Amino acid sequence: MPEAAVSELKLPPKVSGEKPGVGHMEEFDVNFAEFLMRCNAECGELAEYNMAGQQTVLMSGPRAQEAFLKTLDKKLSRAAAYQATVPVFGKGVIFDAPPDRMKTQLKIQVDALRYQNMKNYANIIAQEVQDWVAEWGDEGELDFLDEFIRLTLHTACHCLLGSDFRHKMTEEFKALYHDLEKGLQAIAFVDPYLQQPLFAARDKARARLQELISAIIAERRANSDVAYGDALETFMSGTYKDGSRLTDNEITGLVIATMFAGHHTSSGTAAWTAIELARNPDYAANVLEELNTLFADGQALTFEALREIPRLESFIEEVLRLHPPLVLLMRRVIEDIDYNGTLIEAGKTVAISTYGSHRNPEYFPDPERFDPDRPRANTPELMWAYIPFGGGPHKCAGNAFALMQLKSIFAALLTRYEFELVDPPHTYRDDFSAMVLKPSSPCRLRYKKRA
Amino acid sequence: MAMKITVDRELCQGHSVCLGECPEVFDVVESDEGYSQVVVLQENPPEELREKVMLAANYCPNHVITVSEE
Repeated sequence: MPEAAVSELKLPPKVSGEKPGVGHMEEFDVNFAEFLMRCNAECGELAEYNMAGQQTVLMSGPRAQEAFLKTLDKKLSRAAAYQATVPVFGKGVIFDAPPDRMKTQLKIQVDALRYQNMKNYANIIAQEVQDWVAEWGDEGELDFLDEFIRLTLHTACHCLLGSDFRHKMTEEFKALYHDLEKGLQAIAFVDPYLQQPLFAARDKARARLQELISAIIAERRANSDVAYGDALETFMSGTYKDGSRLTDNEITGLVIATMFAGHHTSSGTAAWTAIELARNPDYAANVLEELNTLFADGQALTFEALREIPRLESFIEEVLRLHPPLVLLMRRVIEDIDYNGTLIEAGKTVAISTYGSHRNPEYFPDPERFDPDRPRANTPELMWAYIPFGGGPHKCAGNAFALMQLKSIFAALLTRYEFELVDPPHTYRDDFSAMVLKPSSPCRLRYKKRA
Repeated sequence: MAMKITVDRELCQGHSVCLGECPEVFDVVESDEGYSQVVVLQENPPEELREKVMLAANYCPNHVITVSEE
């Protein structure tokens, strides 16, 4: 970007409706996706709002989103924006680690998602789904948000920590994870170290989880000739540049960080996929026809078999357009930025809204219409407009895992059952009350075994 | 016409799908810092590898690999 004297630069336009002390916090809390769309509609490409003193600049449109996503950590820091995660993931883990150690930890996290592991994960997921539907009978009614939260917790636990842990420890793990989750509510982004029962429970759960994981690590180190094919094995064998291994604290932190990245994002998307299948029977029939052709001989849902299912993929992509699990991505500005003649000062936060971008009629005409056939991914002009996994060097590394899991789930479900809505279609809405978007409760669907 | 392979290393996170599909053409190695990265072993691979190269390009989760003709 061109050099310019600071005095020649404009400042970003400010969003109206600021209140003394809290700024826009109240409006943000009511429905942050709607609030961010208002910011963009009122101010355009750059819109500055105030979160109880933290000035935040929303960057909208493909050009601004590309700049946001391509800028590296030393200028736009993820770590500074996500400090609330530190007591949850652990001291010295990811956003609390020095930059070079953070990079190595993230690299080891991706190593656990490599090709060889993915093949194993595909088999685990297929098995978990099969065990789950075995309880269903010929027909019934379920809350599919609750069900997918449970299923994806089981698959995550199994892929991360192995089958032994999954079958013996899931219940305790669930309780601990629940306490960690509660420790990452909005208040944690104001100050994660307040004296609060919520945070005390979080810290206790973090310590207990490390005890559990340390015990497995010790057991595995004593039986080093066994291969597990899970993420823990990868985390245990990863090394820093000086050859040293990750500590038990860091391994526990990576397990937690991976859960937080992958669990609710997957359960929310799976629940929305089920709803949209029930709400769009013509498209669902199309997807089923494809699945019946591809899996006519009843072959297993392996990694290879799941790689290419174009109609199901387009369907899931459209679900991710309308219901992107992470609505808001943030970074802290470390050095002043000149964005095309506008100064964004160090210390401010910058943000992009996937939800708003995916509803911009300029790029997605008639945006509320569910249409798996519309252009999205693989369209160069939309590369920085369609961003359910972010993009650029920090793009979500779990995207291939997430899509594989969703394809496995729905290839198994759709060929066995048909689904219909229990409640009127418009009552299934986006729920913005948590950090990760999900369908509103109840999220009931009826299922019936196919003839 | 021969295949020419280019990769965008900035977007590579070392998922290693390419290495699994076509080890004759792709390797994934540790880099100085950050993610492991793809290395192209043959920029102009022979025609008989086309099918495997295309699988690697199509299934790369980050769409890092471009195959052009020259």
